[in-house]
Amino acid sequence: MNLKTPHKPRFLKDKLIFASMLLTLFAVSFPAYAELGGDEASIQTDQVQMQGVRRIARASTHVMHEIQTPTGTKVREYVSPAGKVFGVAWEGPFLPNLQQVLGPYFEQLSRAQSNRRGRGPLIIQLPGLVFFSGGHMRAFAGQAYVPDMLPHGVTAEAIR
Amino acid sequence: MRTFLSVVMLASLTIVLGCGGSSSSGSSSSGSNSSSNPASGANVQPIVVNSGPLGHYANGVFTSVTVCAPGTSTCQTISGVLVDTGSYGLRVLSSALNGLALPQQNDASGSPIVECAQFADGITWGPIETADVKMAGEQASPIPIQVIGDPKFPDSTIPPACANQPGGPQDTQQALMTNGILGVGPFRQDCGGACAPFTSNNPGFYYACPTASTCVVTTENISQQVQNPVWMFATDNNGVIVELPAVPATGALSVNGSLIFGIGTRSNNGLGSAKVFTPDPMTGNFTTQYQGTSYTKSFIDSGSNGLFFGQPTTVLKACTDSSGKPTGFYCPDAPQNLSATQQGANGTSAAVNFTVGNANTLFSANNFAFNDLAGSNTANIFDWGLSFFFGRNVYTAIEGQSVPSTTLTGPFWAY
Repeated sequence: MNLKTPHKPRFLKDKLIFASMLLTLFAVSFPAYAELGGDEASIQTDQVQMQGVRRIARASTHVMHEIQTPTGTKVREYVSPAGKVFGVAWEGPFLPNLQQVLGPYFEQLSRAQSNRRGRGPLIIQLPGLVFFSGGHMRAFAGQAYVPDMLPHGVTAEAIR
Repeated sequence: MRTFLSVVMLASLTIVLGCGGSSSSGSSSSGSNSSSNPASGANVQPIVVNSGPLGHYANGVFTSVTVCAPGTSTCQTISGVLVDTGSYGLRVLSSALNGLALPQQNDASGSPIVECAQFADGITWGPIETADVKMAGEQASPIPIQVIGDPKFPDSTIPPACANQPGGPQDTQQALMTNGILGVGPFRQDCGGACAPFTSNNPGFYYACPTASTCVVTTENISQQVQNPVWMFATDNNGVIVELPAVPATGALSVNGSLIFGIGTRSNNGLGSAKVFTPDPMTGNFTTQYQGTSYTKSFIDSGSNGLFFGQPTTVLKACTDSSGKPTGFYCPDAPQNLSATQQGANGTSAAVNFTVGNANTLFSANNFAFNDLAGSNTANIFDWGLSFFFGRNVYTAIEGQSVPSTTLTGPFWAY
């Protein structure tokens, strides 16, 4: 972006348009996917993509960012002291955009499905990734985490 | 000036964040069959737990559903349809319709309505069509159903926002593992108000598709959404009872039972001494207490093929397949006798004793119906799947539907 010679708009409308353009450019300059395994800034991308409202809760071992989406589904992203998203969880009436939330791990999960014996929760446990998608129509919940990235003192149970 | 611009930018940022753009019958044979004397009557639909259409389904309860072009006797009976108290509405594979043509539902501008229905393990994609739906002596006519895997709307054209589930589309018999899903859970429609006009939180279940590759999310009147067929029946329309006999701990090859329509509407479907549990009316969930942990997202789901719950502490060993990969099921060295307490929002509570067997051992005996098949799940969920149903009559009452001669109105569970 070239910001060396900013416009000096005379009218509020111009200013709004200008600011919106700037912000649009700013927003689209984020990487498309950088969520599970990504850095804390990637949560901002998720929040924008999901048009959600964010709440942050700090614990001694990690920081939890909860994004409340307009559909009523909550997505929680867990950030380590090193600033990386080590786990995500979701709950609500509808599934969130899991490609957005899982980032680069989504394709890995899509490829990893095993021979199933029936319908039920989707459980995928890989050496570097654990994924659960459970619940039922109108009430889903799930979690995904990277075991090697869990901060000291944090159990998988905490990702919910 | 700079401050003012910052304020404008901040306001604009809020706007961007707040409302920016769009977003997102199989085998059945003698041997170790288990069967009672199934009920009979115009409201009694035979069901069977067996290996299903693909021949390897563990703990699937299936039935046959007849769908007809509205108002005609041009019909197709589809076997191998999963009976699912965890979803709402009938979905059948296009291939299972065997060429039966059903009217496509269109929007006001004539664009076909196509649905992206969400399940925990994947999605189904296909058009909404209308059909008369017949089971036992009951009929829902005509109602919207989903036709899955219609060649006119191939998986290659599924909108990106619908393809965002790692389970992926389940639009073939291989992926769906059944010929259809009969959703007879406690809600009337699959989506409800969130998908209806003037919604502020459209989750994107319904699409208008001028062409297969130009689908856009749309709203759908509640009456046009996929309907739980039971509440559309003329009679016996307040819920269902799933009746399955007990099975041995080692399982059974196949089990015959009944899906009874109506609760307290006839002499064969009274509540009797069944305990009634009310769930959260928005979610259908109640609470299960197990080993000191409160599972607030508990539900009874004939469409889940086992008991699925996470563990407060690691007690039950996880199964692995022949290549060492975890399968999601539990494989304790010896069967574990356990107990959990279900709690309804109405204060009803009951201890449920259950056994967790070794899933690999169970499967190796070549049986397909198990009361002790269990596996893992995400935190907070206790999914009382089909294992729970054997030896019980499980009632599912539909939202807003009352039980004659009682003060009870759905949603509720009872057993």
